[in-house]
Amino acid sequence: MTTSRVGSGARIQRKVGKGIVTLLLSLYGVVAIYPLLYMFLSSLKTRLGYAKNRFGLPAPLTLENFTNVLNRFDFLRLLSNSFITTVGGVLLCTIVSLFMAYALSKMSFKGSKYIFLLVVVTLMIPNQTIMYPLYQTIGELKLIGQYYGLILVYAAFGLPLGTYLIAAYLRGVPDDLLEASRIDGANPFQILMRVVLPVSMPAIVTVFIINAVWMWNDLLLPLLILTQQKRTTIMVAISLIRSQYDIHVPLISAGLVVGFVPVLVAFLIGQRQLIKGMTTGAIKM
Amino acid sequence: MKLGNLGTSRGKEIGWIVLFVGPGLLLALGIKFYPLFRGLYDSLFFFEGGWKPVYVGLDNFHRMFLDKTVQQTFFNALKVMLTIPVWVLFPLVLAFLIFQETAGWRVFRAVFFLPYVIAPIIVGQIFREILGLQGPLNAFLGLVGLKLMTTAWLANTFTAIWAMVAVVLWSFSGLGIITYLAGFATISDDIFDAAAIDGAGFLTKIFRIILPMTVPVIGYWTVLCTGGMLLWMFPFIHALTEGGPGHATMLPEYLVYITSFRFFERGYGTTIGVALFFVVLTFTFFQVRFMYEAGAPRQKQKGGAA
Amino acid sequence: MMKTNRIAIIVISIALIAIIGGTSFAADQKKVTIKVLNWAQGGQEYWDKTAEAFSRENPSIQVEYESVPFERYYEKEGTYLASRSGPDVMANNLGFELWERAGAYKDISKRLTPKIKRSLYDYTGCALAFDEKLGILGIAPSYQGNLMYYNRELFTNAGLDPNAPPADWDTFGKYAVKVKASGKAMLAMGTGHTIAYWFFPEIAKNFWKSSEDIQQFMRGQIPWSDPRMRKVLDFMAWMADQGWYQEGAATTTMLPDAGDVFIRGDTAMIYGIASDVFNWKTWGDAMGHQNIGVMKWPMIDPKAPFAGKFSGVGGFSVGIAAWTKNEEAAWKYVEWMASEENANLFLKLAGGQPNNKNFDKSIITNSPSFTKIQSIISNNMPHTGVMLSGRELDAISRGYEQIILKQITVDDWAKTMQDALNDSDLKKPTAAIWNH
Repeated sequence: MTTSRVGSGARIQRKVGKGIVTLLLSLYGVVAIYPLLYMFLSSLKTRLGYAKNRFGLPAPLTLENFTNVLNRFDFLRLLSNSFITTVGGVLLCTIVSLFMAYALSKMSFKGSKYIFLLVVVTLMIPNQTIMYPLYQTIGELKLIGQYYGLILVYAAFGLPLGTYLIAAYLRGVPDDLLEASRIDGANPFQILMRVVLPVSMPAIVTVFIINAVWMWNDLLLPLLILTQQKRTTIMVAISLIRSQYDIHVPLISAGLVVGFVPVLVAFLIGQRQLIKGMTTGAIKM
Repeated sequence: MKLGNLGTSRGKEIGWIVLFVGPGLLLALGIKFYPLFRGLYDSLFFFEGGWKPVYVGLDNFHRMFLDKTVQQTFFNALKVMLTIPVWVLFPLVLAFLIFQETAGWRVFRAVFFLPYVIAPIIVGQIFREILGLQGPLNAFLGLVGLKLMTTAWLANTFTAIWAMVAVVLWSFSGLGIITYLAGFATISDDIFDAAAIDGAGFLTKIFRIILPMTVPVIGYWTVLCTGGMLLWMFPFIHALTEGGPGHATMLPEYLVYITSFRFFERGYGTTIGVALFFVVLTFTFFQVRFMYEAGAPRQKQKGGAA
Repeated sequence: MMKTNRIAIIVISIALIAIIGGTSFAADQKKVTIKVLNWAQGGQEYWDKTAEAFSRENPSIQVEYESVPFERYYEKEGTYLASRSGPDVMANNLGFELWERAGAYKDISKRLTPKIKRSLYDYTGCALAFDEKLGILGIAPSYQGNLMYYNRELFTNAGLDPNAPPADWDTFGKYAVKVKASGKAMLAMGTGHTIAYWFFPEIAKNFWKSSEDIQQFMRGQIPWSDPRMRKVLDFMAWMADQGWYQEGAATTTMLPDAGDVFIRGDTAMIYGIASDVFNWKTWGDAMGHQNIGVMKWPMIDPKAPFAGKFSGVGGFSVGIAAWTKNEEAAWKYVEWMASEENANLFLKLAGGQPNNKNFDKSIITNSPSFTKIQSIISNNMPHTGVMLSGRELDAISRGYEQIILKQITVDDWAKTMQDALNDSDLKKPTAAIWNH
């Protein structure tokens, strides 16, 4: 963000104003953080300790839930399964969305409007409605049980939103930039790579984040597609801790923390990049 | 704008289009549309023993229109849709506060985004505890003298659905905030400086500069929320209330799940799902078209604004 | 340019990883592999050990589990059913849940020898409509049923004899007064599906006059307005008014919260089951086995024929999938699940009540409750909770939560139950299941 050149005109100047802002932000900050804190504290309690005192500090403090969880699962394998499918899905989805969004918004051809509408309509299809036929179709396409099966389905599910977001963004990009390249004789692919890609970074990054988060956290699709124990994702494995009637909250919390930590780490590392991606190259109007 | 000036044959042009649009189209058609049509077909059947199809024509639809639970469920969906303004404005306000870059704004930005990355099932579990009768929310309300307001948030027929919406909002706001911030970043500081010189106040800046310039962002965030409300609340409903008390927090997607999978009525469940699809389509269609067109005028400006 | 290359490299490597991952699943040519679908009931450790033990005895068969979280089990199983393909062995809860999915299983009635039948507490639970002539869909490794547990220390503190728990509801009420006076709530309550399975049958059993009644109920021939059914609903609602439940009972959307209430000693009693969870092992491990007492549910009228019986049924069934290509191997697995060795493993690792009567009694020595349960379950009756259809289950659980919250009347509740019954395909006289 162009913080060093912050125009004074855009920001509140007076101390009182700033104080109020900080107060409001802090209030919501607490609201945002508290549930996470609660989950983390629960994971450090024994079952009895949790039953006795749900909302206070752990007493006694124990790591038994974590050892239990980490022993239950072949943790590295689960992580790598999640990683492969999420990264694969995100990449494939983002790339295909980009190509499609570019073609639909900048390469005018007959029917582009209809295809765009089709894509948006696909966004509106409820998952539960198509669950049975989806499974049958995936089975017929022989996608069951394979990583690439899940990756393809992830990409298909994320495609409508991705295309829509990038296309909507590209609408606001003036054609002049592209014109210049065209006149230079560049083919559409080159135009895409050299001009469109850098310029649409904010939208691409948004699509990237949205996809990454839901694909990592998704339970239903990996359940349906990755049927083998050793291929399952970490979130699915963690939800197995909860059986039909039993909820051992501290244990589940530990599992959830374990599932959440990779995301947190990725987030902390990547957030600078993400924010940068979202804001640099953005066309100032 | 035409590609005609490339000078090469129309065939090559078509080739590029097919290459760019083809894979996406195949994926969307094959994995989402085709099952949808099969689903539409399924809704004309009754499945004996869960699998043997028996043709019943429009009986399922007839039953659905008379089904009081279905009616209540779609009515709930309508209630939820009414909260969309909150979904649009709440993250906008927070984003704007962060945009002020007061002390620790970067930390706030990160913290606010965090809820979004937590899996809905976790969020549901945590809030079920927090919103309980003896939970921390009620304890807090008691502390600040609002004891009258304490209630079992998720068990009270009046508050349950709003409490649930609040939880989902908690989860999604982070994305909204970041999206808006990205939108703000496109507004050149020069405009603000010019406005300051002209003596524009704080409120003027919000309503005359920021809002108009972020209309496209507001636009696609609204579409996102609309779709999300009807289609992505499932894990939250599942974890928080399972549609209860009674059917107070039952939304169509969850009803489809219960009917298709718990009651194992595949045909009827699909019927409700088809209805949901058309409802969502109607709601978002006009929005999308409006926003699509709203975004288009930008193109006509050559280069950036002065 | 750099960017393009980098992207290309990333894409290609991901594709490679996926392909390698996808094709690395090498099928073992000599062995038969059977796939078993379950929800890891009792814990993954138990299932892993059974696979090991089974494979030791049957070296040519390898077992591969697909464990799905219970809350998504129906979706997963449903999709397999719809596509008529998938695992070789599947699990289900008994009763209508199983019968509604009858098309998924092979009939194994011809395979069940008299020896097997004698060794089990319940084998007809897996039969369609509990009638083995209609076909048996699987075998249950565990035996399940409804009990009440109590905290002996709290009884003593309230001036009650921990060796004389209340056998009827009048006494229960008197005990409750004393417990309340000692500062505790009487019964931990949690809403959810447990209402249908663990609660309803225990009240209903006081109103059946004969097995004919139960048969009629199962077939959907008794409307919810019938005095027998109406009295059940009325009694359950009456219970909610007695002040026996802990505060905020209806907001515990699942029983586990009530379990925590019992564990931390806020209530003297809790209702639970015999096997797997919310049983002697759960409470004993948390609160000390010597401190836990167990009893049958109290009776309304001791003279009623079924009032003092234990409602029992197999805990869950394992059956052979109708589309399997490895029927013999699948049968060997199912048969083994009903064996003594499995029973012992189940008891030791999962704290479950085995369905096989001949398990090693010496495994559990530290739980007086477990010992008492063995004598309780010998006097049993069919479990009527599993005779509720999917819709009735949903309606009775939702309804009771609202009854506790005073949001609806019993009239409303009875009406929703009747609507649910009317919509239940399997409980119609024309349903295929009754017309063999």
